[in-house]
Amino acid sequence: MAGDPIIRLRDVEKSYGPASAPARVLRGVSLEVGSGEFVALMGESGSGKSTLLNIVGALDVADRGHVEVAGVRYGEAKERALARLRNVDIGFVFQAFNLIEHLTCLDNVCLPASFSRGKSPAEVQERGKEVLGRVGLADVAGRKPGTLSGGQKQRVAIARALFQRPRILLCDEPTGNLDSHTGGEVIEFFRELNERDGVTLVIVTHEQRISSAAERIVSIRDGVIEDESAGAPAAKEAAST
Amino acid sequence: MIAPGKLARLVATNALSNRRRLALHTFGLVVGIASFAFFLSLSMSVRSVFLEEIFPLDEVEVVAPRVGAADVDARDALNDDVVNEIRQHPDVKEAVPRMAMAFPASGAAMFMGQRMPFEAGGFADGVDPAYVADEDFADRFVDWEAEEHEREACGPPPERECGDHYYCDQRDNTCHKRVPIVVSRTLVELYNTQFAPSHGLPPIDEALEGMLASMLRLEIGLGETMFAAAMTGGESPPRQVEGMVVGISDKAMPIGVTVPIGYMERWNREFVGDEAAEVYSSIEVVLEGREAVAPFAGWVQDELDLSLADRQGERFATAIFIVTALFVMISLVIVTIAAINIAHSFFLQVSERKRELGVLRAIGGTRGDIRTLVLAEAALIGVIGGLLGVAAARVGAAAVDFAAHRWMPAFPFKPDSFFLFEWWIVAGGIACAVVFAVLGGLFPAGRAANMPPAQALSQD
Repeated sequence: MAGDPIIRLRDVEKSYGPASAPARVLRGVSLEVGSGEFVALMGESGSGKSTLLNIVGALDVADRGHVEVAGVRYGEAKERALARLRNVDIGFVFQAFNLIEHLTCLDNVCLPASFSRGKSPAEVQERGKEVLGRVGLADVAGRKPGTLSGGQKQRVAIARALFQRPRILLCDEPTGNLDSHTGGEVIEFFRELNERDGVTLVIVTHEQRISSAAERIVSIRDGVIEDESAGAPAAKEAAST
Repeated sequence: MIAPGKLARLVATNALSNRRRLALHTFGLVVGIASFAFFLSLSMSVRSVFLEEIFPLDEVEVVAPRVGAADVDARDALNDDVVNEIRQHPDVKEAVPRMAMAFPASGAAMFMGQRMPFEAGGFADGVDPAYVADEDFADRFVDWEAEEHEREACGPPPERECGDHYYCDQRDNTCHKRVPIVVSRTLVELYNTQFAPSHGLPPIDEALEGMLASMLRLEIGLGETMFAAAMTGGESPPRQVEGMVVGISDKAMPIGVTVPIGYMERWNREFVGDEAAEVYSSIEVVLEGREAVAPFAGWVQDELDLSLADRQGERFATAIFIVTALFVMISLVIVTIAAINIAHSFFLQVSERKRELGVLRAIGGTRGDIRTLVLAEAALIGVIGGLLGVAAARVGAAAVDFAAHRWMPAFPFKPDSFFLFEWWIVAGGIACAVVFAVLGGLFPAGRAANMPPAQALSQD
C-alpha cells in the first residue's frame, strides 16, 4: 500500500534545444508517488517519460516547477545533497545495463560504496556478495560483465542499484533488451522487491507486462500526463473489497 | 567526496584496464622525461668535473696586466701590500701569493728507473706552506733550508753520500734535505693518460700517490740554461738541487711543480736579483662564494688596476649552462607535446567513457569526484611515465658509460660515470611528468565533470 508521498512533482517543465526554438519535452507535469508504491510510466517514444524519470532521479534539472524526493527539495539542495540522494536513497536500473566492462561483477555492484563512508572494505565486499546472491548471481562475482548474458547483466545492474538499500528504484525500460522469459523474471523480481521490502518503484516502460504488475499506470503524451489508472494489482484489490 | 583509498583503487583499475591506451599515454612522457633526466644528469656530471675539479669558480687568480692603466709595466705591482689589501676585502676568504721561478732552469724526473727531462723555468712556483696546511702532506711541505742546523759533510760519489731524502749540495758539500714538491692532479691526469701509456709506465692511482715520495725524485739545474746565464750575467754559477714529490694537490701549479715559497725567493734572489724575490707572479684568492666573483673582479680592476687571470671556468660554466638549458628546453618541449597528446587522448577517452562517467554520477559521484577521478588517472599516468622515463634515462646512461669505458680512450679527468643522477633530478623528472600529465587532463576532466549525467547515460 502506498504511504506518504516520497516523490512530489508540481508544474515541472523541461525544454531542450536553442532558446529561440525550444523543444518542450515536459509541459507542466504534476505527480505524486507514495512511499512503497509501484508506478509504471507509459507513453510513446519522445513523450517525455525518460526525461521525467531523469528529473526525479536528479540526473537532469527541470527548467521550471517544484521537485521534492525523499524530503530533498531539488531547487534548494546543493550538489552534494543530490549526490548523496542518488547514492543512498535512489537506485537506478537502465535499459542498457550500464555496467563498467573492465570491473568484475562484484566490483560493479560495490561501486556505490566508492562515494559513501562508514563501511570497511570487507563489509563492502560482504554486502556486494549478499545482493548478488539476492538476484541469484552469487557465482558470477569474479566475472567481467562481458561474459554474462543480457538477463544476467541486468540482474547485476539491479544488484548494484540495491547495494545501498535504496527507498526508491527508478528503472528506465529495464526489460527493453531482454527476451520475454528473462524480462518476466525481472518483472517478478521487481514486484517481489516492492511487496516484500517496500521499495518505491517507478518504471518507464512500453510493456503491458510491467504495467500489469504496477499499482498505478501514468500515461504521458507530448509532455503532459494524459491519464492515470490503477494497475492490475490495485484493480484486483479494489474488486476484492 | 570520494575517499582517497577508494579513489586510488578505482583509478588504478581504470588506468590499468586498458594497457594499450596506457602505453600510448605514457610513451610521450617517457621519452620527454628520459631525455630531461639524461641530459640534466649528464650536464651535472660535466659541471662537477669542470667546475669542482678543473675550474673551481670560487677561486680566482689575481694577476698584473702587462701594461697598466698609466701605460706602464705593472708586472711588479703584486707585492705584500697588495696581498694585504686583498685580504681586507669582505668577499675574500683567503689570499695566497704565488711566486714563479723568474729564470730558466732545466729539470729531470727520476721515476721507476727512467730519467725524464723537463723545462723547469716557467713551470715552477712557490707558495706559502700555510696554504696547504689542511692537506695530509703538510708536515712534509716545509722550507727545510730556513731551519738552521748542522749538516753532514758529503762529496760526489764515490765519496760520502747522503742518506734517503737528502742530496749533496754543491755549494757547501753538505747534505741538504730534498726540496719538497707538490704536483697538481691535472699533471697526474696528463701523466696517466698521455705520458705513461706512451712510455710504458704504470699509471699513478690513489694507492700509488702515497709512494710517490720514494719513487719520484727530481733534479733541478738552477741557472743551467743558456738563457739563464744571459739573465744572471754569469754572476751566480749554475748548480743542481734535488726535490721529491710529497703530495698531489689542486693547489699546486696546474702544469709544473710547486715548492715552499722560501725556496723560490732564495733562488730568484740568487739568479735574478732582490727585486725578483719580492714580487709575486699572481695571488690566489678564495672567495666567499661564486656570486662574489663578478664584484670582486670589478674591484680588482677599478681599485688595484689589476685583473683576474683568464676566467675559463666561468666561460665553461656559462657554456655548460647554455647547453644544459637547451637540452632541458628540448626535453620540456617533448613533455609538453606529450601533455597535449594526453589532453587530446583524454578528450577522446572522456567521450568514449561518457556512459561510465554518467553511471558514476548516477550512483552518487559529484562533479568534483568525476574531476578528481580523471585528474588522478592523469596523475597516475604521470607517475608511471615519470618512473619509466627516469628508468630509461638510467639505462641510457649506463649504456653510454659502458661504451665510454670500453671504447673511449682515456683523457684527463675522465670520470667513472658521465652522469650524476642527483635525487632532485629523479624527483623533478617524476614531478614534471605528473604536472604535465595533470595539465593535459585538466580540460578533459572539466568537460567530464560538467557533462549532465542524463546526457552521459543517454542511448545515443
